[in-house]
Amino acid sequence: MRPTLLLALASTLLLAQSKPIPDRDLGLAKGSVFETPAPPRFLDEASGPGEKPLPKRINREYPPVIPHGIAEALPITRDSNLCMDCHAVAGPKKKGEATPIPNSHYVDLRRAPKAQAKTVAGTRYVCISCHVPRTDAQPLVANR
Amino acid sequence: MSLTLSRRSFLQAGFTTAAIGAAGVPLEALPAEAGGWNWERGVCRFCGTGCGIRIASKGGRVVAVKGDLQSPVNKGLLCAKGYACAQILYGQDRLQRPLLRKKDGHFDKQGDFEEVSWQEAFDVMKAEWTRAHSALGPTGVAVMGSGQYTIQEGYAAVKLVKAGWRSNNLDPNARHCMASAVTAFMQTFGIDEPSGCYDDIELTDTVVTWGANMAEMHPMLWARVVDERLRRPAYRIFNLTTYANATSEAADVEIVFKPNTDLAIWNYLAREVVKRGAVDKDFVARHCVFAAGPMDIGFGLREDSVKAYAAEKDTQARQKTVILTKQEAQARGLDPEARHEFAQTASGSAQKHWLISFEEFQKGLEPYTLDFVATLAKGDADESLDAFKAKLQQLADEYANPGRKQVSFWTMGFNQHTRGTWVNEQAYMLHLLTGKQARPGAGAFSLTGQPSACGTAREVGTFAHRLPADMAVDDPAHRKHAEEIWNLPPNTLNPKVGSHIVQMMRDLEDGKVRWLWVQVTNPFQSSANANHWIEAARKLDNFIVVSDVYPTLSSKVADLILPSAMIYEKWGGYGNAERRTQLWRQVVLPPGEARSDVWQMMEFAKRFTLAEVWGEQKVPGLEAEGYDKGKLPSVLAAVEAKGYKPETTLYEVLFATPAAKKFAWPDPVAFGKPNSTVTHAGIAWFPEKALFEEYRRFGLGHGHDLAPFDVYFKRDVSGLRWPVVDGKETPWRFNDQYDPYAKKGSGIDFYGTAMKKLPSGDLQGVKPGEATALPGKAKIFFRPWQEPPESPDATYNLWLCTGRVLEHWHSGTMTRRVPQLHAAVPEALLFMHPKDADKRGLQAGDLAWIESRRGKIQARVTLGGRNKVPRGLVYVPWFDEGVFINKITLDATCPISKETDFKKCAVRISKVG
Repeated sequence: MRPTLLLALASTLLLAQSKPIPDRDLGLAKGSVFETPAPPRFLDEASGPGEKPLPKRINREYPPVIPHGIAEALPITRDSNLCMDCHAVAGPKKKGEATPIPNSHYVDLRRAPKAQAKTVAGTRYVCISCHVPRTDAQPLVANR
Repeated sequence: MSLTLSRRSFLQAGFTTAAIGAAGVPLEALPAEAGGWNWERGVCRFCGTGCGIRIASKGGRVVAVKGDLQSPVNKGLLCAKGYACAQILYGQDRLQRPLLRKKDGHFDKQGDFEEVSWQEAFDVMKAEWTRAHSALGPTGVAVMGSGQYTIQEGYAAVKLVKAGWRSNNLDPNARHCMASAVTAFMQTFGIDEPSGCYDDIELTDTVVTWGANMAEMHPMLWARVVDERLRRPAYRIFNLTTYANATSEAADVEIVFKPNTDLAIWNYLAREVVKRGAVDKDFVARHCVFAAGPMDIGFGLREDSVKAYAAEKDTQARQKTVILTKQEAQARGLDPEARHEFAQTASGSAQKHWLISFEEFQKGLEPYTLDFVATLAKGDADESLDAFKAKLQQLADEYANPGRKQVSFWTMGFNQHTRGTWVNEQAYMLHLLTGKQARPGAGAFSLTGQPSACGTAREVGTFAHRLPADMAVDDPAHRKHAEEIWNLPPNTLNPKVGSHIVQMMRDLEDGKVRWLWVQVTNPFQSSANANHWIEAARKLDNFIVVSDVYPTLSSKVADLILPSAMIYEKWGGYGNAERRTQLWRQVVLPPGEARSDVWQMMEFAKRFTLAEVWGEQKVPGLEAEGYDKGKLPSVLAAVEAKGYKPETTLYEVLFATPAAKKFAWPDPVAFGKPNSTVTHAGIAWFPEKALFEEYRRFGLGHGHDLAPFDVYFKRDVSGLRWPVVDGKETPWRFNDQYDPYAKKGSGIDFYGTAMKKLPSGDLQGVKPGEATALPGKAKIFFRPWQEPPESPDATYNLWLCTGRVLEHWHSGTMTRRVPQLHAAVPEALLFMHPKDADKRGLQAGDLAWIESRRGKIQARVTLGGRNKVPRGLVYVPWFDEGVFINKITLDATCPISKETDFKKCAVRISKVG
């Protein structure tokens, strides 16, 4: 089922809650539990850095979502972190350049929480622990 | 036992530990921030790491969260899931009213869901309970609980089910998650939960991950590991796994082994340690004994189910008889060319064990040479045997080096294993042999998957065999102690262990359980061999209640769905994998008519009188001293002496007790924060505090001490690692420098008391003679490698391994409703090796059938990404209800822990065409 249709269905459920709801309309995979659905195909974000506008921040604490494709930047290993190659630049952000890693990331919060270090804190080295990549998948249900 | 504190100051090492004493900082709420955001402290909803979190609310809504800078666990950081703890509350299809299947205005199992009042919901739920209970007694009803229960919810469930209904049919999803860790702790140390703590990450020289993809599954612990590795060139990381994963990317050495051969690798390592003279003889002599148990223990499978599918029967037959493979014969020191058939005679007594000599132990290890183990265990067909051997030797060099400390971490790869208890015990075997256990920076350390698998499932004891604080229902002294604390007449508690969660599903299929309440879990998605259980739920005469926050796969097969409050909509507490107990205040109100699980249990308890539940009850198979065979006695004659009448309700006996009501609400600890349990119940006392304070009584004075409720809310406390004695937490247990329960001067004191009196024998069995008491000792087990219940063959020719992903947790019911987490990983993919895909005409993105003896489903193929599987193995995550992989998996369990092995079964893959 297409994501837009799912969204429509979810809001129908919400508005018409006094109507009986068959179990197949509940949950994130519509249909009966006895069926064998064919999962849809989603495509990884494939745009290059800077090709698409930055998405709106989710809230001011949520780490920004990665707006571009990252297939070529992975894996992040001890010897190679291609994310840093572009993003470990001094701020503020300049036109045509990658978003700089903020000062907060240069602080070793465990050992020296008041000092700015020269390198990104080791705890923040694996960027994709916090910054998620994206595909073309639309929300299954709205988040309000 | 000395309770005097004997802790070394950490200040020299640059660490601080939380200390709360006479001079403790007074209770204090956090200051409001500009912009109208109010910050409150809490804990993350997701994994067992237990990251400290700060929650911002505004206008009655949680607007954001961030990592708690003060928390020693995560020091201000969270992973992609943790930061989503605000959004998980606000999925549009949040359940807000009870939903009951109805036709023509009445409950009907074949009806569609209609909104009903709580009154109607509980009326039908109680009528159905009574119908099942009248027909079958206390074993006909069951509750499936959770490692995501708050401490208070788990404790309320234990009281309601075990004390109120006199049933032991309460078991958590944590059975699927770390039951093997529990049984191994109990058998090895006589007491549950890790000796070490997360500080070990910074204090060790080497981290070895065994079946633990920490990079994805415990990202904030992994951040600490990577940080150390980047700072200290001599720090080493070994990753032992059945496929290359994200953890391999920072590892120095990646060892890809064939599924199930981890037991052989441990025995090779132990053999090397012994052979090289690297045994810490003094440590072993002073603190350890050697032990062994029966070998023919089966696989926890059903033996004679009439509901078995024809295709399942060959695998199930191995529950009764096993014909050894050549390599199995070799590992047992038998002639590999001869036929060896073994009846699985110990399938019902797998937990038995006895003392053996060091010489016997050594004899057990002897077959596990480098050549034998390397040939057996090499998991990547494209790696050379020599390269694999070299890595095994490197690992042996590491563990055998007395100058270096190691921490061995594991999670589901060990626990979800048909030899889960054994392989956990093998980790202790090596760490005990080398004297690297219960010391800062050195130890075998079991991590957990759920946020309160430790704090609730284990410590509170929501297992079918448990009572709080490591006590067991089949121990008369433990029952007596619980009956005293709970003010119950003698022999109220049921001495017969209840059904574990896998058995509950089988009971449902057999009509032995006809009423089931599912709380804070999604078992119809998370249980292996699911086609059986969804069929049983929908097509048999039973009644299933699911309490949850969103409609889940389990709610689709339910008869009644109850809307629950979420984490920051209620007061609660979790306990993480390093024994850290963390409590939180309610921040916002639950939506609509959603109610806390504590409220649900208290309200439901009002519908039971003692006369209904405490009369004589039949319990098939009950045999215990002081009880008539097959039944629980009536205790109604004794209730008046306790101050009750036959018409007193369970609510009054279990929850609204005179002692509980003394915890008044409002309470200064709340600092103006709400308590919806109180509001909805219309009471003037504080159930979550009353439950916690009563629960605490179980652990005080026997090594499970928790601090008083209010202490956890002090400004300078970021949770405390139990035992908390004289206001101080315990970072390393069993070590007399840190643990007040360890006898001073002992160095190490494995003071656990369970299973500490054993007979003696050899590898073949127990010998007649006196049992030996083992105070202060840990057991070094010899455990053999064996073949799993099901391996790839000509028809089902690939291994299937299942697991999690970083972005989704707990069957995806919360994380998949967070748009950016869903967009990151929108569905469960089938990870395949390109050559295996090519052979089947499959390309990346194609739809494939995955089929086992138990069912078939479809999934999309991926050939790269985070998991690079070797030829012959495929991996599918289980979070996605649209890719229902547990229709495929095998419900074999560790026969000791009863934990399902989700990591290996045989499948075939073909192109959908």
